[in-house]
Amino acid sequence: MALDRQLEILAVCGVGMGSSLMLKMTAEDALRSLGVDARVENTDVSTARGMSPDVVIGQGMHTGEIADLAPVVITISDFLDKEGLEAQLRERLTEQGWLA
Amino acid sequence: MDVIKDILTFLADNVFGQVPILIGLITLAGLLLQRKRFEDVFAGALRATIGVVILFIGIEVFTGGLTSFQTVLASAMGTTPPKADNTLADFLADQGGTIALVITVAFLAHVLVVRLFPAARYLYLTGHLMFWISTVTVASLVTIAPGADQLTLVLCGAGFVAAYWTLQPLWMRPLMRRVMPDDRFGFAHTSSLACLITGYAARPLGSRDKHDTEKLKLPRQLSFFKDVNVSTALIITVIMLVGVAFADHGVVTKAAAEMDDKLSPWVWAILVGLRFAGGIAILLFGVRMFLGEIVPAFKGFSDRVIPGTRPALDAPTVFPVAPTAVMVGFVSSTLVFLVCLGVFAGAGWFTLAPPMIMLFFVGGAAALFGNVVAGWRGAVLGGVVTGLILAVGQAVTWGLYERTAPELATLADPDWYAIGWLLKAADPVVGGNSIWLVPAVAVGAMITTLLLLGRAEKRRAEADEEAAPESAAPAEA
Repeated sequence: MALDRQLEILAVCGVGMGSSLMLKMTAEDALRSLGVDARVENTDVSTARGMSPDVVIGQGMHTGEIADLAPVVITISDFLDKEGLEAQLRERLTEQGWLA
Repeated sequence: MDVIKDILTFLADNVFGQVPILIGLITLAGLLLQRKRFEDVFAGALRATIGVVILFIGIEVFTGGLTSFQTVLASAMGTTPPKADNTLADFLADQGGTIALVITVAFLAHVLVVRLFPAARYLYLTGHLMFWISTVTVASLVTIAPGADQLTLVLCGAGFVAAYWTLQPLWMRPLMRRVMPDDRFGFAHTSSLACLITGYAARPLGSRDKHDTEKLKLPRQLSFFKDVNVSTALIITVIMLVGVAFADHGVVTKAAAEMDDKLSPWVWAILVGLRFAGGIAILLFGVRMFLGEIVPAFKGFSDRVIPGTRPALDAPTVFPVAPTAVMVGFVSSTLVFLVCLGVFAGAGWFTLAPPMIMLFFVGGAAALFGNVVAGWRGAVLGGVVTGLILAVGQAVTWGLYERTAPELATLADPDWYAIGWLLKAADPVVGGNSIWLVPAVAVGAMITTLLLLGRAEKRRAEADEEAAPESAAPAEA
């Protein structure tokens, strides 16, 4: 692991209550499989603008608006697709050198 | 014996009657059951508790903005602003413990039902709606039976709510299968009635193949509206400014002076719009904070008891299927609501406040299902249906919660209105002491539905088995 701290990950949705929380749980599962030490939080797009996480995950409707928020922005279309998210995370985290 | 009575009274007043403490304890139990580390359990329970405290603060800010909004609009239209004896904050302070217990007991009952009846299929996991539906149900039950004790309210409320959580994803299933053919998850959202009406009413309007919304291109300028904080602040502020222009000068000056006596009424109008949106944002932040702890705890529990069940999830989980339809629904529901606002106010009726969150999520969901059935015309219809239900719903429901929490009518989804009026309609039949009929009928309807569905599914499986050797065609699920 090239990163010497816990990875900060943000799951976003419109109001930050229902679907982003589901996404957070999916992301936590995927990160556990990848063996990445990360803290996942969920919030709405407005609040997200004031935060500076390492990774943002959300559906395209929202990630388009906050594309500059984090070095890694991941767009999903399925909130429960753990394998798909795991593959995207593996690729993008490796790209950043955070995952060997 | 007096000691036991004292202890029970102390618990009732200080634990079961104090919603932040009760939610904190329920979360603590949930986190302990998941065998989390000490620091996670402690911090999580505390976060849930703080979340509830923030929720209360948000409601106070929001209610203050709502009152100013209604005063100005009523004055501009020459009507009397709606009065209420109680507010949501008072109601939650009074019955919050009951509501927290309804959620917990109803969830356990719901898990049990899903475990016992394969036909139930879906586990309801939309946390914030679990909270609000329980609130609406308790408010309605208190309206029917003002004298009921906490235990009666908890059991009656939980029975009714558990039946709703079980049945709602099932009545959405036929429409959901057209959106998500793989049936990996169900739809758990209190917009369901608007979606159902749209889904059936849109049939003659066209077909998805020919008129799919996703072939349309919408102007980019619309995109900032989907941030509900922005659209709430903007639309309420504009209506406030128009209201101030037409309102009685004395009323406006007096209201503005209450905030700051040097303040121009125009700037005051802008501040009220912003406060209204700010209050909702704080309220949602609080809800998010306690849900973030409770929902994973609930899910952890149900995963252990019923592994592999399909979850039923919040509306935005289907939004990626047709984002343009969602925008079409939001825009059309907002326009219809604003037209209703003008017409209703002109007629001297109740002053409405546009619930931007509901216009977005309910309008969006109804439009998405409308699009699946009939393309863009169905999507527009979804928005129209939503705008009408929300406007009429607000106008007729405010008075229903006069003695409990009238704000439950302002920021509400279609199913909330249906539940409120359903329970109100039960009033003459059920009356004070026979409140037990409410959960009995709801649970009875649920079990009958599940048995019939289960039998139909079994018969279909047998028919498929018989038909299989003769026809090589794959069996239709």
